[in-house]
This record gives sequence, C-alpha cells and structure tokens, in this order.
Amino acid sequence: MRVVRLLAVGWLYHMKMISRSPFEGFGQVIWPLFFATVAFFVFRAGDSPRGLLYASLGAAVMGMWSATSTTAGGAMQRERWHGTLELLVATPPHFALVLLPVTLAMATVGIYSLGATLLYGHFLFGIELSVEHPLLFAGSIVGTVLSFGALGFAFAVTFVRFRAAWALGNLFEYPVWLIGGFLVPLLLLPDWVRPISWVLAPTWGMNAIREAAVGGSPLNDLAVCLGLGALYVLTGILITNRVLDAARRRAALSLS
Amino acid sequence: MAVVEAHDLKRTYRTHTGTIRRRVKEIEAVRGVSFEIAKGELFGLLGPNGAGKTTTIKMLITLLIPTAGEARVLGYDVVKDAREVRKRIGYVFGGERGVYERLSGYDNLRYFAELYGVPAREQKGRIEELLQLVGLRGREHERAEGYSRGMKQRLHIARGLLHDPPVMFLDEPTIGLDPVGARELRATISALADAGKTILLTTHYMFEADSLCDRIAVINRGQIVAEGTPAHLKSRVATGSVVEVEVYGVAEETVTRLKALNGVRAVSIEEREQAQVLTVQTDTGAQLTHAILGHLDGANVGRVSQREPTLEDAYVALVTEE
Amino acid sequence: MNSVRIFFVGGQITYRALFHWLTPQIYIPSLVVAPIFQILLFAYIGRSAGLESDEFYVVGNALQYAAVPCLFAMTQMVGGERYQNTLSAILVSPARRIPLFVGRAIPVVLNGAFVAAFSLAAGTAILGVDIPLSAVPALALVILVAAFSCTGLGLINAALSLRIRENAMLSNVLFGFLLIFTGANVPLGELPGWMRTISDGLPFTHAIEAARKLADGASLGSVAGLVGTEVLIGLAYAGVGYALLRFMEVQSRRYASLERS
Repeated sequence: MRVVRLLAVGWLYHMKMISRSPFEGFGQVIWPLFFATVAFFVFRAGDSPRGLLYASLGAAVMGMWSATSTTAGGAMQRERWHGTLELLVATPPHFALVLLPVTLAMATVGIYSLGATLLYGHFLFGIELSVEHPLLFAGSIVGTVLSFGALGFAFAVTFVRFRAAWALGNLFEYPVWLIGGFLVPLLLLPDWVRPISWVLAPTWGMNAIREAAVGGSPLNDLAVCLGLGALYVLTGILITNRVLDAARRRAALSLS
Repeated sequence: MAVVEAHDLKRTYRTHTGTIRRRVKEIEAVRGVSFEIAKGELFGLLGPNGAGKTTTIKMLITLLIPTAGEARVLGYDVVKDAREVRKRIGYVFGGERGVYERLSGYDNLRYFAELYGVPAREQKGRIEELLQLVGLRGREHERAEGYSRGMKQRLHIARGLLHDPPVMFLDEPTIGLDPVGARELRATISALADAGKTILLTTHYMFEADSLCDRIAVINRGQIVAEGTPAHLKSRVATGSVVEVEVYGVAEETVTRLKALNGVRAVSIEEREQAQVLTVQTDTGAQLTHAILGHLDGANVGRVSQREPTLEDAYVALVTEE
Repeated sequence: MNSVRIFFVGGQITYRALFHWLTPQIYIPSLVVAPIFQILLFAYIGRSAGLESDEFYVVGNALQYAAVPCLFAMTQMVGGERYQNTLSAILVSPARRIPLFVGRAIPVVLNGAFVAAFSLAAGTAILGVDIPLSAVPALALVILVAAFSCTGLGLINAALSLRIRENAMLSNVLFGFLLIFTGANVPLGELPGWMRTISDGLPFTHAIEAARKLADGASLGSVAGLVGTEVLIGLAYAGVGYALLRFMEVQSRRYASLERS
C-alpha cells in the first residue's frame, strides 16, 4: 500500500512540475503533428484498405511515444543537474520507486499528444473519430502509458552512464514508430524484424488501442503490453542496483 | 556507543585525462580519517576548501563508497546497511541547488515527507511545525525558484528534519549566506543540538566551528591534523604570540628563512588590498620581532604589531603545516 | 531543460571546434542513424498506404534530412559564439562581413551535403532501389545545391535565434515544415493550392524534384531549370539572413543585447 502511495505521490508532483512549463509541452505536442500531417496526406492519397482512422490512431500513438522517448532517457541526468539526484538516492525507498514515477509522469504527457493528434485529424482532415468500446479504449490508453513509463524508466537507468543521455532517447523515436507497427502493419516488415516488434510494449499498446476503437477485443494485447511493462520495470530495477552502486563508487551522483 | 564512527576512511578518485591516450590520475581526497561522535554532540569538521570535508561526509551519508576503511552510523555500516542508515539521518547541504524550483516550498516538503515515510496523517502537522522553525511561514506556497539563497537553505534544513532523524549531517550550510541569514541559521543549528540531535557539521569558517561545536576535527589534505574542543585547540597556541607585519612585497625565500628561525611555529601571508600581512606565530617569550624585521630588510614595511593568538591562528597553523 | 530532440544534438556541432567537439557519440546517432530510419519509416508508410515507390521516399527524405545539419549547425555557429561572448568580438572587427559568413557557412553546407549523400546511398542499398550510376555526379551536384539552399534558411534561423530563447523549437518547426511542404513525402499534387505556393518558396522543393528525375534517368540538362531555381532560393534566403544579422548587429550596439547576460 505504501508502495502505491509512494508511486502516486511521486507521479503527482512530477506531473505538477512538467505541467508548469507549458512551452515544453507545446513543443511535445506540435512535433508529432508534423508527422501526423504527412501521414494523413499520404493515406488519403494512397490506395490501401487502411483508411484515415488507422492513420489517425497510429499518428496519435506516435505522439505518445515521442513524449516518452525524447524525455525519459535523461530523467536521471536532469535530476543530477538540479542537484536533487543525491537527495533522492539518500532516501530510504529503493531508487526504482523514486524514479519510476518520474518517467510515468513523462509518459502521461503523451495523452495530451494523443488527444491533440486525434482532434487535429478530425478538424483539419475530417477524420471521423468513432470508437466502438470507449471504456476499453481509455483503458488501453492508460495501459499504454504505463508501459511507456516503464520503458522510459529502463531507458533512464541505462542511459545515465552516457554524457548524451538526454539525447539517446531520441534515437529510439523513429525506430519504435516503424517497428511498433503504428502506421505500418507488421506483415509488411521483414520477417526478422517481427520478433523485435513483439518484445516492444508499444506494439501491443497500439494494437489494443486500435482494437478498442474498431470494436475488436483489446484485452489480450493489453495484457501482453502490461506484462512487458512489468518486465521492463524488473530489468530497470536490476540495472538500478548496479548503476547506483557504480555511481557511489565513482562519485557520479552529483556534479561537483 | 558512539553514534557516528569513522575508522580510517579513505577515498581515492580516479580521473581520466585525454581522449586518445587515456591516462588515469588518482587523487587521494581522504587519506585515513577516523573520529567518533557521541550522542547529542555537535561535531565540527573544519578545513579549507578541498580538504576532504565533503568527501568524508558523503561517505558517512551513504552517497559515496569508501575506498578503504569503514564507518557506522547508529551501529549500522554505511556500505552494507545503507538503507537503515538513510532512514535515520538527515542531510543538508548549502547552495542554491537541490530544490525543485517549479514546486512550492510546501510541495517540496510534501514530496520528501512521502519519500521519507512520514505517516500521511502526520505530514501536514510536521511540515507546518518545520516551516515555523526555519522561518518560511507565509512564503511556503510560492515557487521555490523565487526563493532567495537563504530561504532555499532554510528549506533544505526543513527537508532534513522531516522524519525527525536523530543524526544530522550539515555540509557547509551557511556558505554564501549574508551575515544575518548565516547567524540565524547558526542559531537554528544550535537549537537542534540543544534538542538532543547528534550533528556533524562541515565548514571552513573557523569562527563558526568555534561558536557552535562541542568538538572540532581540523582536516587538511585528507587527514585530520587536530581534534579537540575549541578551548583545547586554542590552548595549542595559547602559549606564544603572534607578530603581524604589513609588508609590500615579500619574497618566497624570505618566508622560508623566517620559518626556519628558532622559535617560529608558523608563517603565513595574507593578501590585503595594497599590501600583504605577514603573520608569524612564535613560542612564548621568543622576542623575534627584531629578527623578523631583519629578514625583511629591503622590503617596504608598514605597521608592526604583536598580539595574543586566536583560534584562527591555530587553524591557520594547522592547515599550512607541510 | 526544454524539450530537446535529436536535432538539438545536431545543433551542438560547432564547426570552429569541429574535430575537438564532435564526438562520435553525437554525430553517429543524429546524422548517420536517424536519417536512415527516417527514410525507412516513410518508405514503409508509403508501402502501407499504397502511395508512390521506395525511390520516391528515399530521395525525398535523404535530401530533406540535410535540414538537420544545415539548420542547427548554423544556429550553433552564431548562437554558439554568442554563448562564448565572442560574437561581439568578431562583429566589431573590421573584417568584411560577407567573406566572414561565407567562410563559416562552407563547412555547414559540406556537412549537410555529406549527410544527404550518405543517407541516399544507404537508403538505396537497404531498400534495393535502383539508381543509374551515371546519375551519381549530377545527384551530387543537386545535393550540394540543396544543402546550400537550406543553409541559407539556416542563416535566417540563426539570426532569429539570437533573439528567441527557444531556438531549438524554432528549428524543429522549420524541420517539420520542410517535411510536409517540400514534396519529400507528400507528392506536391496532393497538396492544396495555397500550400503548393509555399512549397515553391522553400528550400529543397526544386532540388528534390530534380533529384527524383535524375534518379529516373533524366539528364542534368533537363533539370537545369530546377537546379537554378534552387540556387536562387538559397541566395535569397542567404541574403535575408545576412541582412538580418547585420540589422541585429546594429541593434545590439544600440541596446547592448547581443551578449547573453
């Protein structure tokens, strides 16, 4: 119970901080819209059975992923710059319980991007937003956010060793867009890529959201998505122990 | 049982230089530091910048792993039982950072209260109490980015006290504060000690160590060069006197020759605006003023005075000894 | 820390200290790996949507991605100096301005061209796109022109970034516009009229069209008009950028706002 409270409180305060820099958030939302625009034009002009709703949902999740991938990798580095990393490490709870809420908050910002993309598609390209199972749709979005936060957490503890940690996440923006099957069905990708897609939670989150929208059953996809998320957290925890130990040996917790 | 024990703590940093041929440089920041702090004591670790104070304190608060030696806080080993140690200590460092600027002071405290496991229903009350104690009442709902340096420092202290730890580690808490702010902070620290907390304070202000601490360890270049109560340290130089000479340019070799004089304990030079002040600590009775001035022949000499030694002189002597 | 993207990493490239600064850790992800992924992303989106060919997207994106080094590097060149307070030192020198800026722009153009050429080669190799070997020299020229043209825009971006704090975002927005309007991914015929008008005035639009024709086997002569237009566009942007920088130079002498205080 205390664990849940700890995660919730951490998430709340980091959300508060993130929402207080609207300019940053604005950039997060605008950036994916450029790609969404291209996607809408291309799918409108192309001749494939996958219509604009497909493109709209795909572009919306692209935005969600962007919000996480471009910020989460630098989470630990950012805390170090603020001088708060030391303080966080010096607290009793396991560091994973302290860092996970941070990346969860970053992933939550993706919901703004999702909403903005869907509205943009609706008002500027006339894409009908028909969602067959609204509750499951919302649930799928939440599940996707959770798994993105988990993956972001794994990024944060893995990248912290690199000076360019804040930029490394960007490296995963395009590839996940492609391999996650957001705008490209996995069948179109080379065979050897598919297993990689399958271990990426974003792939399953996307499926779940799509299924919920068109009236299929998202529950299996959602389960796999969350399961992978849990795996990322576990991996992150193991890495955290090693990283913090190394940092305490190398005196890398603070800037001075 | 001592509340804080350090046994022969050592800490070496390895830095890499160069990108083509990476060379490893080893810096020994702490070279065998040992001391003990009893319950309720306000213990000062006094030394110049780079002496190893911060490194020592970080080893004790589990943020740094010692290269050798061991330390315990309340009986718990700082490396093996880090979690137990963290539950029982508060850590405060001076400076502008370490505060979430976009949150209010109040929110900063709420966040850390949760991290430190302060029970939910007690949080509000504790925070109110602490805000009152550190004098941030009325400003607690403003964003921390608008706080002055002194206010941030006080917020640090409040944060360190949230879980009412029996042991507190204060790393140069008054650094960069204006005199009034610093004085108020010292009063707060004193009150904490009076309330029974065990405190380790690092500082490079000797008068601060003198006025606050029950006992002081002087640290220089990674080693403790003296330890004792302020009175004890003063007594090391109580015998003897200090000759101060205002000079305009004194050569390095003159200083060396002065140091070699019989009866001279320490020589140091301080830069003032237009001139330098040469301070020579001598044994009791040694009337060395003539000899000193003799060596300064050729240099422009201003005022000459002789006086009683202070704790500052003791400190300077300790940290300039080779 | 504002929301930075991989492109801000491109902006870290200060050419004065190019070899000292530019670690593989920064260069490879942002200027080697990312453009290849952008090409793959859009090629597959094209397949998914059933629009155009792989070649279409390879050529379009390889050229468009040159925007990253060209826009961000110029900004860093000017902004970087500002951060180091050397800009004013340079601006008060009696050195003639045009050679000064041209000198600084050349490495940017070359780097941009190199990035585009490399990603074009990689993209065609990976996706198995067929480009006649005879077209390569002409393509190289078109790529150079495209990089030059975008660097002109980069100069304007750099001038503006002296005033605007959030210049990383401005560069990202420009990148986004170039993604949509230049025909890199959306065939110009699919854009509404008013958008096509904008396209005609942007860098890359003509170069991309020329490059696609060359890749299909056209001769250099047949695309000369497009190439020439691209050059003119580049000169126009460069001219505006230069004027803007001089204007700001004068302004700053009046208001002492050039240095970051």
